[in-house]
Amino acid sequence: MNQPFIHAKDLCFSYVEDDGRRVPVLDHVSIDIRKGEYVAILGHNGSGKSTLAKLFNLILEHDSGELVVAGKDLMSEDLTEDDLYALRREVGMVFQNPDNQLVATIVEEDVAFGPENLGVPPKEIRERVDRALSTVGMTEYARHEPHRLSGGQKQRVAIAGILAMKPSCIILDESTAMLDPHGRREVIDTFERLNREEGMTVITITHYMNEAARADRVIVLDDGRVLMDGTPVEVFGEPERLLAAGLDVPQCTALIHALRKEGIAVKGDPVTTEECADIISKLLEEKGHGNRHA
Amino acid sequence: MATVTLEHVSYTYGVGTPFGIRALDDVSLTVRSGSITGIIGHTGSGKSTMVQLLNGLEKPAEGRVLLDGKDIWEDPKRMREIRFRVGLVMQYPEYQLFEETIRADIAFGPRNMGLGEEEIAQRVRDAIKFVGLDPALLDKSPFDLSGGQKRRAAIAGVMAMRPEVLVLDEPAAGLDPRGRDAILEGVCAYGKETGATVIIVSHSMEDMAAYCDDVIVMANARVFLEGTRDEVFSHADELLSVGLDVPQITHLMLMLKQRGFPVPDGVYTVETAASALRGLLQ
Repeated sequence: MNQPFIHAKDLCFSYVEDDGRRVPVLDHVSIDIRKGEYVAILGHNGSGKSTLAKLFNLILEHDSGELVVAGKDLMSEDLTEDDLYALRREVGMVFQNPDNQLVATIVEEDVAFGPENLGVPPKEIRERVDRALSTVGMTEYARHEPHRLSGGQKQRVAIAGILAMKPSCIILDESTAMLDPHGRREVIDTFERLNREEGMTVITITHYMNEAARADRVIVLDDGRVLMDGTPVEVFGEPERLLAAGLDVPQCTALIHALRKEGIAVKGDPVTTEECADIISKLLEEKGHGNRHA
Repeated sequence: MATVTLEHVSYTYGVGTPFGIRALDDVSLTVRSGSITGIIGHTGSGKSTMVQLLNGLEKPAEGRVLLDGKDIWEDPKRMREIRFRVGLVMQYPEYQLFEETIRADIAFGPRNMGLGEEEIAQRVRDAIKFVGLDPALLDKSPFDLSGGQKRRAAIAGVMAMRPEVLVLDEPAAGLDPRGRDAILEGVCAYGKETGATVIIVSHSMEDMAAYCDDVIVMANARVFLEGTRDEVFSHADELLSVGLDVPQITHLMLMLKQRGFPVPDGVYTVETAASALRGLLQ
Protein backbone atom coordinates (compact mmCIF):
# COMPACT_ATOMS: atom_id res chain seq x y z
CA MET A 1 0.00 0.00 0.00
CA ASN A 2 2.96 2.29 -0.45
CA GLN A 3 1.67 3.38 -3.82
CA PRO A 4 0.27 6.92 -3.60
CA PHE A 5 -3.47 7.39 -4.14
CA ILE A 6 -2.76 10.03 -6.75
CA HIS A 7 0.52 10.00 -8.64
CA ALA A 8 1.11 12.86 -11.08
CA LYS A 9 4.38 13.30 -12.90
CA ASP A 10 5.13 16.04 -15.44
CA LEU A 11 1.43 16.64 -15.92
CA CYS A 12 0.71 19.17 -18.68
CA PHE A 13 -2.60 20.63 -19.76
CA SER A 14 -3.61 23.48 -22.04
CA TYR A 15 -6.92 24.94 -23.10
CA VAL A 16 -7.56 25.51 -26.77
CA GLU A 17 -8.90 28.98 -27.66
CA ASP A 18 -11.51 29.58 -30.38
CA ASP A 19 -8.77 30.58 -32.82
CA GLY A 20 -6.89 27.34 -32.18
CA ARG A 21 -4.26 28.91 -29.93
CA ARG A 22 -3.18 26.69 -27.04
CA VAL A 23 -3.08 28.35 -23.63
CA PRO A 24 -0.92 26.36 -21.22
CA VAL A 25 -2.51 25.97 -17.78
CA LEU A 26 -0.45 23.26 -16.11
CA ASP A 27 3.23 22.95 -16.85
CA HIS A 28 4.97 19.73 -15.74
CA VAL A 29 3.20 19.36 -12.42
CA SER A 30 4.47 16.49 -10.26
CA ILE A 31 2.56 15.64 -7.08
CA ASP A 32 2.02 12.46 -5.10
CA ILE A 33 -0.91 12.34 -2.70
CA ARG A 34 -1.12 9.48 -0.21
CA LYS A 35 -4.31 7.81 0.91
CA GLY A 36 -5.73 9.55 3.97
CA GLU A 37 -3.76 12.74 3.44
CA TYR A 38 -5.29 16.20 4.06
CA VAL A 39 -3.87 18.53 1.43
CA ALA A 40 -4.60 22.20 0.76
CA ILE A 41 -3.87 23.65 -2.67
CA LEU A 42 -3.27 27.39 -2.84
CA GLY A 43 -2.71 29.70 -5.76
CA HIS A 44 -4.05 32.93 -7.22
CA ASN A 45 -6.93 32.89 -9.72
CA GLY A 46 -5.73 31.35 -12.96
CA SER A 47 -2.84 29.50 -11.31
CA GLY A 48 -4.25 26.15 -12.44
CA LYS A 49 -5.69 24.88 -9.12
CA SER A 50 -9.15 24.02 -10.38
CA THR A 51 -7.81 22.53 -13.59
CA LEU A 52 -5.58 20.21 -11.58
CA ALA A 53 -8.55 19.10 -9.50
CA LYS A 54 -10.57 18.43 -12.64
CA LEU A 55 -7.77 16.24 -13.98
CA PHE A 56 -7.78 14.25 -10.73
CA ASN A 57 -11.40 13.25 -11.14
CA LEU A 58 -11.31 13.01 -14.93
CA ILE A 59 -13.58 15.90 -15.78
CA LEU A 60 -10.66 16.98 -17.97
CA GLU A 61 -8.04 14.89 -19.72
CA HIS A 62 -4.36 15.83 -19.53
CA ASP A 63 -2.18 16.40 -22.61
CA SER A 64 0.95 14.65 -21.43
CA GLY A 65 2.65 13.24 -18.36
CA GLU A 66 1.83 10.41 -15.99
CA LEU A 67 -1.37 10.32 -13.95
CA VAL A 68 -2.24 7.33 -11.80
CA VAL A 69 -5.40 7.56 -9.65
CA ALA A 70 -6.39 4.76 -7.25
CA GLY A 71 -3.95 2.40 -8.92
CA LYS A 72 -5.29 3.01 -12.44
CA ASP A 73 -2.91 4.46 -15.03
CA LEU A 74 -4.92 7.00 -17.00
CA MET A 75 -2.55 6.84 -19.96
CA SER A 76 -2.93 3.08 -20.21
CA GLU A 77 -4.25 1.70 -23.49
CA ASP A 78 -6.56 -0.85 -21.89
CA LEU A 79 -8.42 1.60 -19.66
CA THR A 80 -12.10 0.90 -20.29
CA GLU A 81 -15.13 3.18 -20.08
CA ASP A 82 -16.16 1.25 -16.97
CA ASP A 83 -12.81 1.99 -15.37
CA LEU A 84 -13.39 5.70 -15.94
CA TYR A 85 -16.80 5.61 -14.27
CA ALA A 86 -15.33 3.66 -11.39
CA LEU A 87 -12.57 6.25 -11.00
CA ARG A 88 -14.97 9.18 -11.00
CA ARG A 89 -16.79 7.44 -8.18
CA GLU A 90 -13.53 7.17 -6.22
CA VAL A 91 -12.86 10.91 -6.40
CA GLY A 92 -15.83 13.11 -5.48
CA MET A 93 -15.86 16.83 -6.00
CA VAL A 94 -17.69 19.67 -4.23
CA PHE A 95 -17.81 22.99 -6.06
CA GLN A 96 -17.98 26.63 -5.06
CA ASN A 97 -21.59 27.63 -5.47
CA PRO A 98 -23.98 25.79 -3.13
CA ASP A 99 -26.94 26.70 -5.34
CA ASN A 100 -25.52 24.97 -8.41
CA GLN A 101 -25.08 21.51 -6.94
CA LEU A 102 -28.39 20.39 -5.52
CA VAL A 103 -30.81 18.85 -8.00
CA ALA A 104 -33.72 17.47 -5.99
CA THR A 105 -36.49 19.24 -4.09
CA ILE A 106 -35.96 17.26 -0.88
CA VAL A 107 -32.60 16.90 0.87
CA GLU A 108 -32.59 13.10 1.15
CA GLU A 109 -33.61 12.69 -2.50
CA ASP A 110 -30.71 14.86 -3.48
CA VAL A 111 -28.29 12.71 -1.50
CA ALA A 112 -29.82 9.59 -3.08
CA PHE A 113 -29.30 10.92 -6.61
CA GLY A 114 -25.72 9.60 -6.92
CA PRO A 115 -26.24 6.05 -5.65
CA GLU A 116 -29.51 5.79 -7.67
CA ASN A 117 -27.53 6.52 -10.82
CA LEU A 118 -25.00 3.88 -9.86
CA GLY A 119 -27.79 1.30 -9.71
CA VAL A 120 -27.41 0.67 -5.99
CA PRO A 121 -30.29 -1.46 -4.60
CA PRO A 122 -33.00 0.65 -2.85
CA LYS A 123 -32.38 -0.80 0.59
CA GLU A 124 -28.71 0.05 0.41
CA ILE A 125 -29.48 3.53 -0.94
CA ARG A 126 -31.56 4.14 2.17
CA GLU A 127 -28.63 3.06 4.37
CA ARG A 128 -26.09 5.11 2.48
CA VAL A 129 -28.27 8.25 2.53
CA ASP A 130 -28.95 7.97 6.26
CA ARG A 131 -25.30 7.40 7.00
CA ALA A 132 -24.11 10.24 4.75
CA LEU A 133 -26.57 12.71 6.28
CA SER A 134 -25.57 11.66 9.75
CA THR A 135 -21.87 12.08 8.91
CA VAL A 136 -22.40 15.70 7.83
CA GLY A 137 -24.79 16.37 10.71
CA MET A 138 -27.87 16.98 8.53
CA THR A 139 -30.09 14.07 9.56
CA GLU A 140 -32.79 16.31 10.99
CA TYR A 141 -33.01 18.13 7.64
CA ALA A 142 -33.52 14.93 5.60
CA ARG A 143 -37.03 15.96 4.52
CA HIS A 144 -36.40 19.67 4.20
CA GLU A 145 -36.32 21.63 0.97
CA PRO A 146 -32.73 22.47 0.00
CA HIS A 147 -33.55 26.05 -1.03
CA ARG A 148 -34.53 26.92 2.54
CA LEU A 149 -31.15 25.84 3.92
CA SER A 150 -28.23 28.16 4.66
CA GLY A 151 -25.17 28.11 2.38
CA GLY A 152 -23.16 26.03 4.84
CA GLN A 153 -26.00 23.51 5.17
CA LYS A 154 -26.34 23.26 1.38
CA GLN A 155 -22.63 22.53 1.04
CA ARG A 156 -22.92 19.84 3.72
CA VAL A 157 -25.77 18.26 1.75
CA ALA A 158 -23.57 18.42 -1.37
CA ILE A 159 -20.83 16.62 0.59
CA ALA A 160 -23.36 14.03 1.76
CA GLY A 161 -24.34 13.45 -1.88
CA ILE A 162 -20.69 12.68 -2.63
CA LEU A 163 -20.30 10.44 0.45
CA ALA A 164 -23.32 8.37 -0.60
CA MET A 165 -21.27 7.31 -3.63
CA LYS A 166 -18.58 5.98 -1.28
CA PRO A 167 -15.53 7.73 -2.68
CA SER A 168 -12.09 7.33 -1.15
CA CYS A 169 -11.13 10.93 -1.91
CA ILE A 170 -13.05 14.19 -1.80
CA ILE A 171 -11.92 17.37 -3.53
CA LEU A 172 -13.34 20.70 -2.35
CA ASP A 173 -12.92 23.32 -5.07
CA GLU A 174 -13.27 26.58 -3.13
CA SER A 175 -16.30 25.06 -1.47
CA THR A 176 -16.21 27.57 1.37
CA ALA A 177 -15.67 30.70 -0.75
CA MET A 178 -19.33 31.73 -0.92
CA LEU A 179 -20.09 30.99 2.73
CA ASP A 180 -20.11 33.23 5.78
CA PRO A 181 -17.62 32.49 8.60
CA HIS A 182 -20.13 30.27 10.39
CA GLY A 183 -20.97 28.22 7.29
CA ARG A 184 -17.29 27.96 6.47
CA ARG A 185 -16.56 26.51 9.89
CA GLU A 186 -19.40 23.96 9.49
CA VAL A 187 -17.98 22.74 6.19
CA ILE A 188 -14.35 22.67 7.37
CA ASP A 189 -15.32 20.76 10.51
CA THR A 190 -17.20 18.27 8.34
CA PHE A 191 -14.35 17.44 6.01
CA GLU A 192 -11.76 17.48 8.78
CA ARG A 193 -13.84 14.90 10.64
CA LEU A 194 -14.08 12.80 7.48
CA ASN A 195 -10.31 12.91 7.18
CA ARG A 196 -9.52 12.15 10.81
CA GLU A 197 -12.26 9.65 11.62
CA GLU A 198 -12.94 7.95 8.30
CA GLY A 199 -9.46 8.22 6.80
CA MET A 200 -10.86 10.01 3.74
CA THR A 201 -8.28 11.63 1.48
CA VAL A 202 -9.18 15.35 1.44
CA ILE A 203 -7.91 17.86 -1.10
CA THR A 204 -9.11 21.38 -0.46
CA ILE A 205 -8.56 24.23 -2.88
CA THR A 206 -8.90 27.54 -1.10
CA HIS A 207 -8.03 31.22 -0.92
CA TYR A 208 -8.21 31.26 2.86
CA MET A 209 -4.76 30.96 4.37
CA ASN A 210 -6.10 30.17 7.83
CA GLU A 211 -7.97 27.24 6.30
CA ALA A 212 -4.88 25.94 4.50
CA ALA A 213 -2.85 26.24 7.71
CA ARG A 214 -4.96 23.42 9.21
CA ALA A 215 -4.05 20.85 6.53
CA ASP A 216 -1.26 18.25 6.82
CA ARG A 217 0.32 19.60 3.71
CA VAL A 218 0.12 22.73 1.56
CA ILE A 219 0.85 22.84 -2.16
CA VAL A 220 1.22 26.25 -3.81
CA LEU A 221 0.64 26.57 -7.54
CA ASP A 222 1.84 29.60 -9.46
CA ASP A 223 1.24 29.98 -13.19
CA GLY A 224 0.72 26.29 -13.68
CA ARG A 225 3.77 25.09 -11.76
CA VAL A 226 4.28 23.75 -8.26
CA LEU A 227 5.94 26.65 -6.44
CA MET A 228 5.96 25.16 -2.94
CA ASP A 229 5.03 21.82 -1.39
CA GLY A 230 5.41 21.13 2.31
CA THR A 231 3.88 21.31 5.76
CA PRO A 232 2.00 24.52 6.64
CA VAL A 233 4.97 25.50 8.83
CA GLU A 234 7.38 25.12 5.92
CA VAL A 235 5.19 26.88 3.37
CA PHE A 236 4.05 29.77 5.55
CA GLY A 237 7.64 30.09 6.75
CA GLU A 238 8.43 31.77 3.45
CA PRO A 239 6.03 34.72 3.32
CA GLU A 240 8.00 36.57 0.64
CA ARG A 241 7.51 33.75 -1.85
CA LEU A 242 3.80 33.51 -1.03
CA LEU A 243 3.29 37.23 -1.44
CA ALA A 244 5.13 37.15 -4.77
CA ALA A 245 2.69 34.45 -5.88
CA GLY A 246 -0.23 36.79 -5.10
CA LEU A 247 -1.13 35.07 -1.83
CA ASP A 248 -1.32 36.13 1.81
CA VAL A 249 0.17 34.60 4.91
CA PRO A 250 -1.80 34.24 8.14
CA GLN A 251 -1.36 37.38 10.26
CA CYS A 252 0.40 35.48 13.09
CA THR A 253 2.98 34.14 10.65
CA ALA A 254 3.53 37.66 9.31
CA LEU A 255 4.00 38.93 12.87
CA ILE A 256 6.64 36.31 13.74
CA HIS A 257 8.50 37.24 10.56
CA ALA A 258 8.32 40.94 11.31
CA LEU A 259 9.76 40.31 14.79
CA ARG A 260 12.58 38.14 13.42
CA LYS A 261 13.46 40.87 10.94
CA GLU A 262 13.95 43.18 13.92
CA GLY A 263 16.51 40.73 15.28
CA ILE A 264 14.23 39.20 17.93
CA ALA A 265 14.93 35.47 18.24
CA VAL A 266 11.51 33.80 18.02
CA LYS A 267 11.63 30.04 18.40
CA GLY A 268 9.15 27.84 16.58
CA ASP A 269 6.74 28.43 13.72
CA PRO A 270 3.22 28.74 15.05
CA VAL A 271 0.33 28.05 12.72
CA THR A 272 -2.63 28.65 15.02
CA THR A 273 -3.38 31.76 17.11
CA GLU A 274 -2.99 29.80 20.36
CA GLU A 275 0.45 28.47 19.41
CA CYS A 276 1.53 31.98 18.52
CA ALA A 277 0.23 33.37 21.83
CA ASP A 278 2.16 30.65 23.71
CA ILE A 279 5.43 31.41 21.95
CA ILE A 280 5.16 35.16 22.45
CA SER A 281 4.05 34.73 26.08
CA LYS A 282 7.23 32.77 26.76
CA LEU A 283 9.39 35.48 25.17
CA LEU A 284 7.63 38.20 27.16
CA GLU A 285 8.15 36.26 30.39
CA GLU A 286 11.84 35.80 29.60
CA LYS A 287 12.08 39.58 29.27
CA GLY A 288 10.57 39.91 32.72
CA HIS A 289 7.15 41.19 31.67
CA GLY A 290 5.11 39.77 34.48
CA ASN A 291 2.27 37.44 33.80
CA ARG A 292 0.14 38.30 36.79
CA HIS A 293 -2.03 35.23 36.36
CA ALA A 294 0.97 32.89 36.49
CA MET B 1 -21.04 64.40 -0.29
CA ALA B 2 -23.95 62.77 1.43
CA THR B 3 -24.84 61.62 4.90
CA VAL B 4 -26.99 58.53 5.32
CA THR B 5 -29.15 58.25 8.41
CA LEU B 6 -31.48 55.52 9.63
CA GLU B 7 -34.02 56.57 12.27
CA HIS B 8 -35.72 53.80 14.25
CA VAL B 9 -35.95 51.58 11.19
CA SER B 10 -37.68 48.20 11.44
CA TYR B 11 -38.36 45.69 8.70
CA THR B 12 -40.03 42.27 8.72
CA TYR B 13 -40.07 39.71 5.90
CA GLY B 14 -43.12 37.56 5.30
CA VAL B 15 -45.50 39.53 7.53
CA GLY B 16 -48.48 37.34 8.42
CA THR B 17 -46.87 34.06 7.28
CA PRO B 18 -45.29 31.32 9.43
CA PHE B 19 -41.93 32.33 7.92
CA GLY B 20 -42.09 35.92 9.19
CA ILE B 21 -38.61 37.14 10.16
CA ARG B 22 -37.76 40.47 11.77
CA ALA B 23 -34.73 41.52 9.74
CA LEU B 24 -34.22 44.94 11.30
CA ASP B 25 -35.43 45.94 14.73
CA ASP B 26 -35.43 49.64 15.65
CA VAL B 27 -32.13 50.47 13.98
CA SER B 28 -30.78 54.01 14.23
CA LEU B 29 -27.40 54.97 12.82
CA THR B 30 -25.53 57.59 10.83
CA VAL B 31 -22.96 57.02 8.13
CA ARG B 32 -20.63 60.01 7.96
CA SER B 33 -20.43 61.90 4.70
CA GLY B 34 -17.30 60.99 2.74
CA SER B 35 -16.41 58.08 5.03
CA ILE B 36 -15.65 54.51 4.09
CA THR B 37 -17.95 52.59 6.39
CA GLY B 38 -18.03 48.85 6.85
CA ILE B 39 -21.11 46.90 7.87
CA ILE B 40 -20.40 43.47 9.31
CA GLY B 41 -22.50 40.77 10.94
CA HIS B 42 -23.62 37.16 10.68
CA THR B 43 -25.82 35.93 7.89
CA GLY B 44 -29.33 36.92 8.92
CA SER B 45 -28.16 39.83 11.04
CA GLY B 46 -29.94 42.30 8.74
CA LYS B 47 -27.00 43.61 6.69
CA SER B 48 -28.40 42.97 3.24
CA THR B 49 -31.86 44.21 4.21
CA MET B 50 -30.29 47.43 5.39
CA VAL B 51 -28.47 47.80 2.08
CA GLN B 52 -31.72 47.44 0.16
CA LEU B 53 -33.39 50.07 2.33
CA LEU B 54 -30.64 52.57 1.57
CA ASN B 55 -31.62 53.10 -2.06
CA GLY B 56 -35.30 52.42 -1.71
CA LEU B 57 -35.45 48.84 -3.01
CA GLU B 58 -37.29 48.04 0.21
CA LYS B 59 -39.42 50.42 2.26
CA PRO B 60 -39.02 50.45 6.02
CA ALA B 61 -42.10 49.17 7.88
CA GLU B 62 -41.33 51.68 10.60
CA GLY B 63 -38.87 54.54 10.82
CA ARG B 64 -37.19 56.68 8.18
CA VAL B 65 -34.20 56.46 5.86
CA LEU B 66 -32.65 59.89 5.34
CA LEU B 67 -30.27 61.07 2.63
CA ASP B 68 -28.70 64.37 3.67
CA GLY B 69 -31.48 64.80 6.18
CA LYS B 70 -34.34 64.21 3.73
CA ASP B 71 -36.61 61.17 3.92
CA ILE B 72 -36.04 59.20 0.70
CA TRP B 73 -39.72 58.14 0.71
CA GLU B 74 -41.01 61.70 1.10
CA ASP B 75 -41.88 61.81 -2.59
CA PRO B 76 -41.91 58.27 -4.03
CA LYS B 77 -42.09 59.72 -7.56
CA ARG B 78 -38.54 60.95 -7.11
CA MET B 79 -37.21 57.51 -6.16
CA ARG B 80 -35.48 57.24 -9.54
CA GLU B 81 -33.34 60.21 -8.60
CA ILE B 82 -32.54 58.64 -5.21
CA ARG B 83 -31.36 55.49 -6.99
CA PHE B 84 -29.00 57.57 -9.13
CA ARG B 85 -27.62 59.19 -5.99
CA VAL B 86 -27.26 55.95 -4.03
CA GLY B 87 -25.56 53.31 -6.20
CA LEU B 88 -25.95 49.71 -5.11
CA VAL B 89 -23.61 46.89 -6.12
CA MET B 90 -25.27 43.61 -5.18
CA GLN B 91 -23.58 40.34 -4.29
CA TYR B 92 -21.93 38.58 -7.23
CA PRO B 93 -22.74 41.49 -9.59
CA GLU B 94 -20.83 39.75 -12.40
CA TYR B 95 -23.95 37.63 -12.97
CA GLN B 96 -25.82 40.79 -13.92
CA LEU B 97 -23.76 41.84 -16.94
CA PHE B 98 -26.07 41.66 -19.93
CA GLU B 99 -24.79 43.86 -22.74
CA GLU B 100 -22.82 42.66 -25.76
CA THR B 101 -19.66 44.52 -24.77
CA ILE B 102 -18.15 45.61 -21.49
CA ARG B 103 -18.21 49.21 -22.75
CA ALA B 104 -21.97 49.09 -23.41
CA ASP B 105 -22.57 47.49 -20.04
CA ILE B 106 -20.68 50.16 -18.10
CA ALA B 107 -22.36 52.89 -20.20
CA PHE B 108 -25.86 51.55 -19.50
CA GLY B 109 -26.34 53.43 -16.24
CA PRO B 110 -25.06 56.83 -17.38
CA ARG B 111 -27.07 56.51 -20.60
CA ASN B 112 -30.22 55.88 -18.56
CA MET B 113 -29.46 59.07 -16.71
CA GLY B 114 -29.76 60.90 -20.03
CA LEU B 115 -26.14 62.04 -20.25
CA GLY B 116 -24.50 63.06 -23.54
CA GLU B 117 -22.26 60.64 -25.44
CA GLU B 118 -19.09 62.55 -24.62
CA GLU B 119 -19.86 62.58 -20.90
CA ILE B 120 -20.76 58.89 -21.02
CA ALA B 121 -17.45 58.03 -22.69
CA GLN B 122 -15.57 60.04 -20.06
CA ARG B 123 -17.40 58.31 -17.23
CA VAL B 124 -16.65 54.87 -18.67
CA ARG B 125 -12.95 55.79 -18.86
CA ASP B 126 -12.93 57.09 -15.29
CA ALA B 127 -14.81 54.10 -13.92
CA ILE B 128 -12.46 51.49 -15.41
CA LYS B 129 -9.52 53.46 -14.04
CA PHE B 130 -10.95 53.19 -10.52
CA VAL B 131 -11.41 49.43 -10.74
CA GLY B 132 -8.18 48.85 -12.65
CA LEU B 133 -9.76 47.27 -15.71
CA ASP B 134 -7.62 47.18 -18.87
CA PRO B 135 -9.19 49.50 -21.54
CA ALA B 136 -8.41 46.80 -24.12
CA LEU B 137 -11.21 44.74 -22.55
CA LEU B 138 -13.88 47.37 -23.25
CA ASP B 139 -14.86 45.97 -26.61
CA LYS B 140 -14.88 42.37 -25.46
CA SER B 141 -17.97 40.39 -24.60
CA PRO B 142 -18.54 39.69 -20.91
CA PHE B 143 -18.15 36.01 -21.84
CA ASP B 144 -14.47 36.58 -22.67
CA LEU B 145 -13.57 37.93 -19.24
CA SER B 146 -12.48 36.09 -16.10
CA GLY B 147 -14.70 36.16 -13.02
CA GLY B 148 -12.56 38.82 -11.36
CA GLN B 149 -12.59 41.02 -14.46
CA LYS B 150 -16.37 40.71 -14.77
CA ARG B 151 -16.75 41.69 -11.12
CA ARG B 152 -14.70 44.84 -11.78
CA ALA B 153 -16.73 45.68 -14.87
CA ALA B 154 -19.98 45.35 -12.92
CA ILE B 155 -18.72 47.65 -10.16
CA ALA B 156 -17.47 50.13 -12.80
CA GLY B 157 -21.01 50.17 -14.21
CA VAL B 158 -22.35 51.55 -10.92
CA MET B 159 -19.39 53.92 -10.44
CA ALA B 160 -20.04 55.37 -13.90
CA MET B 161 -23.30 56.78 -12.52
CA ARG B 162 -21.15 58.75 -10.03
CA PRO B 163 -23.36 57.99 -7.04
CA GLU B 164 -22.86 60.19 -3.98
CA VAL B 165 -23.26 57.06 -1.89
CA LEU B 166 -21.74 53.83 -3.20
CA VAL B 167 -23.03 50.72 -1.43
CA LEU B 168 -21.39 47.35 -2.08
CA ASP B 169 -22.68 44.03 -0.73
CA GLU B 170 -19.73 41.63 -0.31
CA PRO B 171 -17.69 43.10 -3.19
CA ALA B 172 -14.68 40.82 -2.58
CA ALA B 173 -16.47 37.52 -1.90
CA GLY B 174 -14.80 34.52 -3.51
CA LEU B 175 -11.81 36.42 -4.91
CA ASP B 176 -8.16 35.58 -4.33
CA PRO B 177 -6.09 37.95 -2.15
CA ARG B 178 -4.80 39.95 -5.11
CA GLY B 179 -8.25 40.35 -6.67
CA ARG B 180 -9.75 41.27 -3.31
CA ASP B 181 -7.18 44.02 -2.68
CA ALA B 182 -7.54 45.40 -6.21
CA ILE B 183 -11.30 45.77 -5.85
CA LEU B 184 -11.30 47.22 -2.35
CA GLU B 185 -8.52 49.66 -3.23
CA GLY B 186 -10.51 50.75 -6.30
CA VAL B 187 -13.63 51.28 -4.23
CA CYS B 188 -11.71 53.37 -1.69
CA ALA B 189 -10.10 55.40 -4.49
CA TYR B 190 -13.57 56.17 -5.84
CA GLY B 191 -14.62 57.46 -2.42
CA LYS B 192 -11.50 59.55 -1.88
CA GLU B 193 -11.46 61.11 -5.35
CA THR B 194 -15.14 61.90 -5.76
CA GLY B 195 -15.87 62.60 -2.09
CA ALA B 196 -18.59 59.96 -2.14
CA THR B 197 -19.66 58.05 0.93
CA VAL B 198 -18.75 54.37 0.54
CA ILE B 199 -20.54 51.59 2.43
CA ILE B 200 -19.01 48.10 2.26
CA VAL B 201 -20.91 45.08 3.57
CA SER B 202 -18.56 42.22 4.36
CA HIS B 203 -18.01 39.09 6.41
CA SER B 204 -14.30 39.75 6.62
CA MET B 205 -13.06 41.55 9.71
CA GLU B 206 -9.60 41.64 8.09
CA ASP B 207 -11.01 43.64 5.16
CA MET B 208 -12.85 45.99 7.53
CA ALA B 209 -9.64 46.53 9.47
CA ALA B 210 -7.65 47.20 6.32
CA TYR B 211 -10.01 49.53 4.46
CA CYS B 212 -12.76 51.12 6.56
CA ASP B 213 -12.75 54.37 8.58
CA ASP B 214 -15.88 53.45 10.50
CA VAL B 215 -17.41 50.07 11.29
CA ILE B 216 -21.01 49.14 12.13
CA VAL B 217 -21.49 45.67 13.63
CA MET B 218 -24.95 44.14 13.25
CA ALA B 219 -26.26 41.30 15.41
CA ASN B 220 -29.79 39.95 15.72
CA ALA B 221 -31.36 42.68 13.59
CA ARG B 222 -29.85 45.46 15.72
CA VAL B 223 -26.70 47.58 15.80
CA PHE B 224 -24.35 45.78 18.18
CA LEU B 225 -21.38 48.15 17.93
CA GLU B 226 -20.77 51.33 15.97
CA GLY B 227 -17.77 53.63 15.80
CA THR B 228 -14.41 54.28 14.25
CA ARG B 229 -12.33 51.26 13.37
CA ASP B 230 -10.16 51.85 16.47
CA GLU B 231 -13.18 52.03 18.74
CA VAL B 232 -14.80 48.90 17.34
CA PHE B 233 -11.69 46.74 17.44
CA SER B 234 -10.98 47.77 21.04
CA HIS B 235 -14.11 45.72 21.83
CA ALA B 236 -12.60 42.52 20.41
CA ASP B 237 -13.70 40.45 23.41
CA GLU B 238 -17.34 41.50 22.94
CA LEU B 239 -17.20 40.71 19.23
CA LEU B 240 -15.89 37.23 20.02
CA SER B 241 -18.55 36.77 22.69
CA VAL B 242 -21.35 37.12 20.11
CA GLY B 243 -19.59 34.66 17.82
CA LEU B 244 -18.16 37.19 15.37
CA ASP B 245 -14.66 36.86 14.07
CA VAL B 246 -11.97 39.42 14.73
CA PRO B 247 -8.76 39.67 12.70
CA GLN B 248 -6.31 36.96 13.79
CA ILE B 249 -3.83 39.58 15.00
CA THR B 250 -6.53 41.27 17.13
CA HIS B 251 -7.36 37.91 18.68
CA LEU B 252 -3.70 37.20 19.41
CA MET B 253 -3.16 40.55 21.15
CA LEU B 254 -6.35 40.05 23.16
CA MET B 255 -5.05 36.65 24.34
CA LEU B 256 -1.75 38.22 25.40
CA LYS B 257 -3.60 40.95 27.27
CA GLN B 258 -5.81 38.41 29.01
CA ARG B 259 -2.67 36.57 30.10
CA GLY B 260 -1.66 39.75 31.89
CA PHE B 261 0.89 41.22 29.49
CA PRO B 262 1.00 45.00 29.01
CA VAL B 263 -0.05 45.06 25.34
CA PRO B 264 -2.33 47.73 23.85
CA ASP B 265 -6.06 47.28 23.10
CA GLY B 266 -7.70 47.18 19.71
CA VAL B 267 -4.69 46.23 17.59
CA TYR B 268 -5.79 45.26 14.07
CA THR B 269 -2.67 45.45 11.92
CA VAL B 270 0.44 43.29 11.96
CA GLU B 271 2.57 46.47 11.92
CA THR B 272 1.03 47.88 15.12
CA ALA B 273 1.32 44.52 16.85
CA ALA B 274 4.95 44.13 15.76
CA SER B 275 5.91 47.58 16.96
CA ALA B 276 4.16 47.11 20.33
CA LEU B 277 5.88 43.75 20.89
CA ARG B 278 9.22 45.06 19.65
CA GLY B 279 9.11 47.68 22.39
CA LEU B 280 8.55 44.96 25.00
CA LEU B 281 11.00 42.42 23.64
CA GLN B 282 14.07 44.47 22.80
